[in-house]
Amino acid sequence: MIRFDYQEPTTLKKAFALMEKHGDDARVIAGGTSLLIMMRQRLLAPKIVISLARIPKLDRIAYNQKTGLRIGAGARHRDIELSAAVQKHYPLLHETFRKVAQPRIRNMGTIGGNLAAGDPLTDPGASLIALDAEVILSSSSGQRRLPVEQFFVDYYQTALQPGELLTEIHVPPPLRPGWSHIKFTPRSIEDFATVGVAVTLKTRNGSCEDIRIGLNSVAATIVRATRAEGVLRGATISDAALREMGETAATEVDPVDDNRGSAEYKRDLVKVLVRRATQEALQRLG
Amino acid sequence: MKQTIRVTINGRVYDEDVEPRLLLSHFLRENIGLTGTHVGCVVGECGACSILLDNKLVKSCLHFAVQADGREIITIEGLAKDGALSTIQEAFVKHYALQCGYCTPGMVMASHALLRDHPNPSEDEIRKALGGNLCMCTGYVQIVNAVKEAARGSANG
Repeated sequence: MIRFDYQEPTTLKKAFALMEKHGDDARVIAGGTSLLIMMRQRLLAPKIVISLARIPKLDRIAYNQKTGLRIGAGARHRDIELSAAVQKHYPLLHETFRKVAQPRIRNMGTIGGNLAAGDPLTDPGASLIALDAEVILSSSSGQRRLPVEQFFVDYYQTALQPGELLTEIHVPPPLRPGWSHIKFTPRSIEDFATVGVAVTLKTRNGSCEDIRIGLNSVAATIVRATRAEGVLRGATISDAALREMGETAATEVDPVDDNRGSAEYKRDLVKVLVRRATQEALQRLG
Repeated sequence: MKQTIRVTINGRVYDEDVEPRLLLSHFLRENIGLTGTHVGCVVGECGACSILLDNKLVKSCLHFAVQADGREIITIEGLAKDGALSTIQEAFVKHYALQCGYCTPGMVMASHALLRDHPNPSEDEIRKALGGNLCMCTGYVQIVNAVKEAARGSANG
């Protein structure tokens, strides 16, 4: 392992000061499940590692009926999975976080670290997109909000600017009651998804009033399948419409060949799983 | 530069000087001498290094020792009380839930954490809970049987 200095600021203000002082030499560590591996692989070689673990309340999960769910960036996957408010009001999030890796990793990795790493293979981002979630990005000069779908910029790249920290995730009260999450894994349950699909939707008199689709593991970033949503939104729900939506989603992704499957295979999976997830969401609505 | 950390391991307090780059798994084995925690893949895949950190099951190879400052650790050595094996350890012995033994400390720690939170797990829950522990010998069947028996044992008191 490379040599580095380790700091544990006890306030956000102190963390910003350290980040400012050390600039590109510094890396922020939360749960560490991603950063530590990248340091071991020599993909990253920070001279100073700044831990957010001692900043109070950064892992808070708070629910309000009117404003929705606020998840502190330091909340662990397991905290979110087991949160009573999440189980009751955001079943899609509960289902998603139940499937992130396995319990040991869920006990360590945080939602903020997960999103800030910008890894397109992980699960939370797609469901947060489907739930209209926003990230709160903070720096010494203030805060800004960004929809999650705009936060992912490129492979392992996010909208975070130098000096900025992802401090909170805000999920509004669910706008669409139907939901589904499919994580298709090639080998064992704790693996990354070959394809991940999150859907929320709302219907009226047999038509789709609104739908949102988030996809992971199928492009350089976690993506929203906007054109596929457009196919179903406002349309009468039928097998033909669902099939067309799946086929459209397959044109919005750009998967790569890897040990979880070929690009062609993943594209076919998108076609089928987007349709299947939507059917599941419709069944849940009854 | 070395930093001083204070950690409680299996009920005993240790003050140690460590380099920030030292992994918690290596700290336990080399600085403290508790070699029951095994180091396998060192990238968080195999689960052999699983321990309880502040009562949560984690992989100690994905932690730096400095991150454990002020925290409490239970390792495989902390499960037996006064030399008597725990119910889970007994069940592993009885069901021959190990061959080479490399994965065993991690398997036992994961089973311990599972049964602590869910005293009566289904087979599916057992398999999901052990999902992050790899075993190349047993085919997992005896391990799952051992956990089932330990669950019955703990349920019976």
